[in-house]
Parts: sequence; C-alpha cells; structure tokens
Amino acid sequence: MPPLVSSPEAAQPLLELDRISLCYRLAKQRLPSFKDYAIHWVKGTLVYEKFWALSEVSFKVARGEVVGIVGRNGAGKSSLLKVVSRVLEPTTGTMRFDGRTAPILELGTGFDHELTGRENIFLNGMLLGRSRREIRERLDAIVEYSELGDFIESPIRAYSSGMLGRLGFAIASAWTPDLLILDEVFAAGDASFTRKCEKTLQNFRDAGVTILLVSHSAQLVLDTCTRALWLDHGHLIADGAPSEVVTAYDQSTYATAG
Amino acid sequence: MAFAFPYWDLVSELVHRELRVRYRRSLIGFAWTMLQPMLMMGVLHIAFSTVFRFNVENYPVYVLAGLLFWNFFSQSIVTSMNSLRANGGLIQKLPVPKSVFPLAVVISGVINLLLALLPLLVLLVATGHPLRPAMLFLPVSILIAAVFTLGAGLLLAPLAVIFHDIVELVGVVLQILLFLTPIMYPMAILPERWLWIVRFNPVRSILEVFRDPIFYGKVPPASHLTVAALLAIALFALGAFSFSRTSRRITLYL
Repeated sequence: MPPLVSSPEAAQPLLELDRISLCYRLAKQRLPSFKDYAIHWVKGTLVYEKFWALSEVSFKVARGEVVGIVGRNGAGKSSLLKVVSRVLEPTTGTMRFDGRTAPILELGTGFDHELTGRENIFLNGMLLGRSRREIRERLDAIVEYSELGDFIESPIRAYSSGMLGRLGFAIASAWTPDLLILDEVFAAGDASFTRKCEKTLQNFRDAGVTILLVSHSAQLVLDTCTRALWLDHGHLIADGAPSEVVTAYDQSTYATAG
Repeated sequence: MAFAFPYWDLVSELVHRELRVRYRRSLIGFAWTMLQPMLMMGVLHIAFSTVFRFNVENYPVYVLAGLLFWNFFSQSIVTSMNSLRANGGLIQKLPVPKSVFPLAVVISGVINLLLALLPLLVLLVATGHPLRPAMLFLPVSILIAAVFTLGAGLLLAPLAVIFHDIVELVGVVLQILLFLTPIMYPMAILPERWLWIVRFNPVRSILEVFRDPIFYGKVPPASHLTVAALLAIALFALGAFSFSRTSRRITLYL
C-alpha cells in the first residue's frame, strides 16, 4: 500500500495545531534570586525581553502522515516538537491531539548510570508512562533490539555512547504509538545504528504510524516523509511536498551563504 | 490533571530508588539515619534536665517522637523543593507529570518515618513507657502529616525552580518554625505572652496529632483532629492548585 498522500483536509486530523505561539520571557537582568526579584519589583524596574520561539503556527496532520520539519538552528523546530510532546505549554493557541505519543527528543533521557541496562529499561519505560507489566512484556524485544547481549546486566556507566543510544532508541520505539516524535536522534550513532533507526522508522511508517520528525538530513526527509514543513524564526513559511519544501529551503540556505 | 496517572509504577520506582540510596548498606544506612535524632535526643535530654532544670516526665520519648515528626516534615519539604530542579533534564525532554517527583519524596519520607518508629518503640519499652492501644491510631496521624507536607512541597517546589534562593529562605523559616513548635520543650514552660504564637502555629496541630498517641497514649480529641485534618486538606488543596497552575510554565525556567 502506498503511504497516504499529504491531505491536510482529511476527515479527522490526528493532530491539529491552531495558531500556536511560544514565548520565552527573558528577564533583561538575570534574576534567579527572590531577593533581586523583590527589589526590582518594588522599584518597578522589571524589564522583560520577549522571545517568540513560535509565532502563530497552524497545521493539521492526518493519520499515517510522515511529516519532516526543516529549518535553520534556532528556527523553533525543537520548540515545536516539545509543544506537540506536551513538554512545553504553548503561550497562546490550542492543540488538539488524542492518543499516545512516543517523544524521542533525546536518547537516554533519564538513564541512571548506576543502574544496569535492564533496570534502566524499567525506569525509562516508566518515565515514558508505561507500567511495569507493559515493560515486562516487551523486555526481551528491547534487549534484542539493543544488541547489548550480556551487557544488559552491567551498570550502564560502562556503556559506550553507541550502546546507550541503541538502548535508548530500543526502549522509546518498543511500543507502537499513535504519534512518533523524533528530534535528530540518530545523528549520534555510527552508520549501522543510523541505518537501523531508519529501518525502524520505515517499519513504523509502513505500519501506518504518524510521524513528526526534525532532521538536518535533506535525504532522510526526501526518502521518508510524505510532507515537509519549513520553520523560520518561529514562523511556518512552507508546508507541502518534501521535494518542493526541501528544494526551497536548500536554495534559501545557499542564497544566504552567499 | 496533576494526579491522574498511568504513572503509579514510576512513583513506586522513584520511591524505591530514593530508599535504596538511603539504605544502601542496609543496617548501617538505617543506623545512620537514626543516629541524628538519637544524638539530638541525648543532647537535649542532658541540656534540659541539667541546665534548664525543668522536668517533663520521660523527656526522651517526648523529644524523640517530636524530632521524628520534624525530620520527616522538614526533610520532605526541602527535598521536594529540590526535586524539580534535580530532575530538570528529564522534565525538559519527557512529558512526565511533574507532581511525581514531590509525591515520591513524601512517600519515601513516610516509609522512613515508619521505619524510625521501631527504635522509638524500643525506647518506649526501655524507659518503661506504657504502650497503649491508642498507638494504633498512628497511621491516621501519619496520613494527615503526609498530606500536609505534600501540600507544602507542591506549593514550594515550582518557586524553587524560579528563584534559587527560596531554598535557603525556606531553610531559615524552618529553623525558626522548629523553635516555634513544641518539640524540644513542653508548652507549659512558655511565658504567657508567647503562648499564642505557638498555639496558632499550624505545624503544632499536625505534630500533636502524631505525638499524642505515642506520648500520652490517647487518641487526639476530635476537635484537635478536625483542625489538623482541615489544615492538611487546605494546604494540600492550595499546593495542588498552585502546582497545577505554575508547573506548566516552569519548564522554561529549568
């Protein structure tokens, strides 16, 4: 079956963002202390600088779409993924999404380096909102995917970064979510790990999982995605077929690079 | 909603971890946590019976019961205040309900308190203090204390993320509060003009509901109990409300 063609007007979108804005309010003076804050508040000299990481971003994602997000550093890509993952609350705007996400914003978040690989599977799975029983059911599959073998019983402080990455990805991708959210995570590993991650990604896609991913690899977006978004300075400036959006984005990068 | 959970297993795992760190070498770890209140009890006993010359019948039991409550209360508050910042990296990357961290802190505090009741029991027997059935009321007392403490932790934890010096400020306030709570001294020694402060100190109500069954061997009177329960529920409601409001924003400050 061919993957769904981008169709934002599809009957019932899985994910819907309506004019989402995210503002980081930076105090002009650094005020991490209550005393300073109180003094400035009394004197009326609190000055804030507003930084809009996202401005009025709206889009819909239908079930089964694979959406790649491109844009320069600081364009708001990661902020957008954090809002969709519900790690950050948008300042204004509304988001509608019913279902389970698997946010993979960073591999190995929440690993405890004193615990063994096996213990970390439980801890990490629970941080992802899974119950002990659910994890026990998937344990063997996770261990196998991570290719750690007997190392699974050693404390993970002895692991290489590649091993940590594999374990992290194995846990995060152990369950089929409604929406998979990926932030550049396989940049860390070696070629075989990257290939493996891409294979998993394709399996998810073929299974009809909706995916939202940030990547600096134009090739990955072209190969995997059914649709691409281009973010620039917090604004959504293009939304369409990957080939068109990536071409436009590439041209603009070359243009500014001179 | 802050307390709707598929996350109970996570809370129990966090509690496990907290306790494992504390009791790493089982018995030695436990002895170590008990050493502080025991030493404190010894010092206070000597100070109050020789220097200040007033007599509370079986002062060691009085003071140890109070100190165990106080340690639970103050340590839980300070640790829950730090719990969000300590788990900052995690909170920025995963949509974990932030309330699991203070909750796990208070639950481990309760378990520590329960364990600490064993040496207290030994002291009761050793000093010939009568063991009364009223002690079976303690689970209710501890529940009230836990709800009260969790409320305070939920109220303060987001503030500690935004203002780093709040933790020190709370440390000072707790120090003052310790002296305004009849833990080291009996209410009877207070001069008339100071009595009202201690009487209106909400922590005193919570403390007495815990200590009465141990020290006086009686279930706290219904009026005290009602006041303590209402205080606990009110502080918890306030804490939970403010936590659910502020905790959405604090991720940006971590």
